[in-house]
Amino acid sequence: MNPGGILTSLMDGLLIGVVYGIAAMGLTLIWGVMRVINLAHGAIISLGMFGVYLIFTNFGIHPYLALLLVALAGLLFGMLIYYITIARVINAPYLSTLLATFAINMIFIGLGTAVFTTTPRDAGFSLGNVSLGPVTLQGTRLVAALVTLLVTGGLYFFLYRTRPGKFVRAVANNRAAAELMGIPSARILALSFGIGTMLAAIAGGLIATFFSFNILSGDIYQQKSFIIGVLGGLGNPVGALLGGLILGALEGLLPLVMPNTWVPVIEFVLFIVILLVRPSGLLGGKSE
Amino acid sequence: MSILEIKNVTSGYGEVQILWGMNISPEEGKLTCLVGGNGVGKTTLLRTIMGLNRTWQGSITFGGQDITHSPAYAKADLGLVLVPEGRQLFTDMTVQENLEIGATNQRAHGKYQQNLERVFALFPRLKERAVQKAGTLSGGEQQMVAVGRGIMADPRLLMIDELSLGLAPVLTLQLFETLRQLRKEGLTIVLVEQNVQMALAVGDYAYVIAEGKSEMEGPAHKLMNDSHVRETYLGL
Ligand SMILES: Nc1ncnc2c1ncn2[C@@H]1O[C@H](COP(=O)(O)OP(=O)(O)OP(=O)(O)O)[C@@H](O)[C@H]1O
Ligand SMILES: [Mg+2]
Repeated sequence: MNPGGILTSLMDGLLIGVVYGIAAMGLTLIWGVMRVINLAHGAIISLGMFGVYLIFTNFGIHPYLALLLVALAGLLFGMLIYYITIARVINAPYLSTLLATFAINMIFIGLGTAVFTTTPRDAGFSLGNVSLGPVTLQGTRLVAALVTLLVTGGLYFFLYRTRPGKFVRAVANNRAAAELMGIPSARILALSFGIGTMLAAIAGGLIATFFSFNILSGDIYQQKSFIIGVLGGLGNPVGALLGGLILGALEGLLPLVMPNTWVPVIEFVLFIVILLVRPSGLLGGKSE
Repeated sequence: MSILEIKNVTSGYGEVQILWGMNISPEEGKLTCLVGGNGVGKTTLLRTIMGLNRTWQGSITFGGQDITHSPAYAKADLGLVLVPEGRQLFTDMTVQENLEIGATNQRAHGKYQQNLERVFALFPRLKERAVQKAGTLSGGEQQMVAVGRGIMADPRLLMIDELSLGLAPVLTLQLFETLRQLRKEGLTIVLVEQNVQMALAVGDYAYVIAEGKSEMEGPAHKLMNDSHVRETYLGL
């Protein structure tokens, strides 16, 4: 096999891995702040895909501008979901929040299937290819990776440099103490759920610029988000990005030496092995 | 005049009632001690005042305002601040960030710099440790952060649950000295403390809590000489 081909596969894998990372970041943020496992994550990724696709194909608005709208809608939508459902069970045992998000997932998937059917959609958007020596990369994937890095940086700036961001960390760390200091924790939880949802929607929106999809497509990314959460440590945004890169690299390289169908098997074996050996995540980070 | 008035308050956890008609009214500018054995409901009372536990019956007023059912986060804006039992620091955040979060409420926000200097003057150690994660500090340093965070909130009434628990005698003395100083500066303080002797020595007024009620009250130095208190709580 030629080295250029290997390098291209690796780069392709890494570029999609970054997008996995941002999806995982949303899942991991929600877990880290409120100890909720969001099973509606995949459905929201799908909705993000449809958002960008529909705005682009119906109104001819540029996909990246559409992405901005989808991100904003994701934030508001997430907060709405929080207030309508999660807030009611947030103090109940894990199983209740798990079932609540599972129900949300079923509703979105059900409605989505009824409205959009499961016929694959394709935005038919391209930015051409970029060639660097022997490596050829899709422009849309490069931009997706770039957007992800920007969003990760933005999330870090928010969490560590802004007042509301510090409130999010304080509530994640000790909710009762945050209340005692005057932080309305219910509002901060809603904001955090909104941001987690926004990250999922952005991931979906980016994926729609280079893959075809249907309403069920988000589910795969949710599964990958769990693997990445375990790789990078749940509740750790940078860990999520690194975990995404590792998973992406595997997906780029493994198909060169084995049939494609074996890739998810390897991924989940990895998932279980890490859970057994290092439950707090390969890259440290905190866990329960 | 009492700044805080607890009238016939009952509360508990789930079905279990812990407070059975609590009556307490700390005076403005004074240091009021709450003493009593383990598990009599001192922490529960403070949590109920702050709104972390729901008040079942009775009323709580602060500065003349009814706060019986107002949420915990609204208390800090009024100047009602608790240094909770077990410190409850933001362990993943730095010392500086803990102090910053302490100054979240509307009253304290504008006085951040001024209060920060006050805290660093009281606890110079915290200035050295400003960028260290609070969870990695020693127990004594963590207690300094807890008290410092409370001061950053610019309280009208500072309630402290177990100032000296688990601390070495030297540090206990130092913290009590800090308390005396704050009291001299005119801060109103409510202190729950295992070390009854030291608490009564520094306090103006005291309540003895037993079985979810205030069983006895009076000027601290009088309770110190009371035979029942001496026998039961001072082991004399
Ligand atoms: N979260 C809880 N759920 C149920 N019961 C609780 C809870 N917290 C405290 N209790 C019970 O309430 C009673 C009073 O506890 P509380 O912590 O108020 O006592 P305390 O006077 O502060 O004691 P100590 O001096 O040991 O701190 C105890 O019997 C305790 O077991
Ligand atoms: Mg207690």
